[in-house]
Amino acid sequence: MADVNTVSPRISMLLSCYLDGELTRDELTEVVAALENDMEAIAEFRRLKDTRKVLRTMPMLHVPLELIPGGHLGEQLSAYLDGELVTEEIPVVSAHLDGCPDCRRELGDLDRSRTAVRALPGVEPPVFLAPRIEEKRSRRGLRTAVALAAGAAAVSLAFAVTPLGDSDEPAAVSITELGSRHTARASTAPAPTGVQVGSP
Amino acid sequence: MTMLRRAATVGGTAVLAVSMLAPAAVAEELTDYLDRAMQSTYTANRLVVSVWGDETSISSSFVEHADGMEMVRVDSTWTVVGNGRSVVVNDAPHGVAFVTHAQSIETDRYTIGTVRMVKHMRRDCRLVEVMEGDHVRAVILFDVNTGAPLITETFTGTGRVFRRSSLQDFKAYRTYIAPRTVDDVEYEIVMPRESEVLPDSVAGYQLIDIFPAPGGAEHGFYSDGLFTFSLFALDGAAEVTGFDDPKSFITGTGSYDVEATALDVRLHWSDGAHRYVMVGDLPPDHAADVLAELPAPDARSMFSRWWAKIFG
Repeated sequence: MADVNTVSPRISMLLSCYLDGELTRDELTEVVAALENDMEAIAEFRRLKDTRKVLRTMPMLHVPLELIPGGHLGEQLSAYLDGELVTEEIPVVSAHLDGCPDCRRELGDLDRSRTAVRALPGVEPPVFLAPRIEEKRSRRGLRTAVALAAGAAAVSLAFAVTPLGDSDEPAAVSITELGSRHTARASTAPAPTGVQVGSP
Repeated sequence: MTMLRRAATVGGTAVLAVSMLAPAAVAEELTDYLDRAMQSTYTANRLVVSVWGDETSISSSFVEHADGMEMVRVDSTWTVVGNGRSVVVNDAPHGVAFVTHAQSIETDRYTIGTVRMVKHMRRDCRLVEVMEGDHVRAVILFDVNTGAPLITETFTGTGRVFRRSSLQDFKAYRTYIAPRTVDDVEYEIVMPRESEVLPDSVAGYQLIDIFPAPGGAEHGFYSDGLFTFSLFALDGAAEVTGFDDPKSFITGTGSYDVEATALDVRLHWSDGAHRYVMVGDLPPDHAADVLAELPAPDARSMFSRWWAKIFG
């Protein structure tokens, strides 16, 4: 025989808010009183808990960012900073950040506030807040070579080409300029300690 | 210094917990680690300390690294480097871009030594020893999640720390602080050419590319898979400016003008027919080996420089 829900709509609503942690002090008192004295409220509470438990076991659906109303990243920025985006979301978020100054500004604000929080002494994040580790795939060998070749081709098409072996160039050469040339060329070779920039 | 002592130099300050890693779970090639580091995404303050002879150089810069590009801020000047380009963004933005040969270095000079999982700043890291023969040439602490090199220590041939680079205030994402005007900057495009004077290999370093350079010079780019240097061969009458307070680097083949920064070393000499400039991140013993296989400084031109320096 099916259960008949006779609990009042208000108690049902308060129980749902209770599970969400959204009750005021007075509402909490009301809910506690109902759970201590009303068997129907207890049954409703258990039903709500079971329903949520089932919902939690269902696969997560990811809404494409481009379908989000307003087109901005919102809470995705927080997930981005936490490294909690799923792999397929990362390029979408990065592309949006590239073209959206509002979201970049919001990201900067969020980052600064988090940096300030991190500067506080002795704060250990709870275990359940530890970010999920999503190993990025190593990109090497052919992919790097192809990227370099493609980049070089794009550059060569986009800009004028310097004449080779110009004999009119001055005989005085700056070491800083030569250093910059090394830095630029070396940027295609992996360097474990970074590159030299600016004047020595 | 033993391998364990060298590893402990990094581990002593950074490592909270250590466990052995199953060999099958780690990369076996140095290029695997370095390529992944090159493609990693992070923001940090980079502190580099380098020792060349008695000179110690320190560099501190804000770095944003993404998509194989590195955006570096020193004071108010941004420099964007990557994919063969170097662009300085200031009041007068300018840049240079090299069209490069897409080829990888084939060398067995370096191998991977001990690899350990460690914790650094609450991050899971892989401590990798880079071996040159039977001694450690570098110890690199790679962030497991991003692949970024959080700490790098390189050693001389006698086991002294030659350079130490560390990323502080590390964030595993971009902050998009760097200027977005890079694509509007006009570049000088440099195409590769054939060499007339540069050797194909020098002391284990392979010639990768040759380019024209200012003053009618030839620019050879060399790499051994870990370190790189550029060798510029200029006309013997050319003048090289910017060596304002050079020190002397004396090897078995002669005395060279040297200026060391935190991230590279610049050497200058003349053999009479050509004037040479070498710029690179290679350690002192490698530099000496390379110089030994290149044209030696001409003692007469060195005497002339000393004479001019003393008597004007």
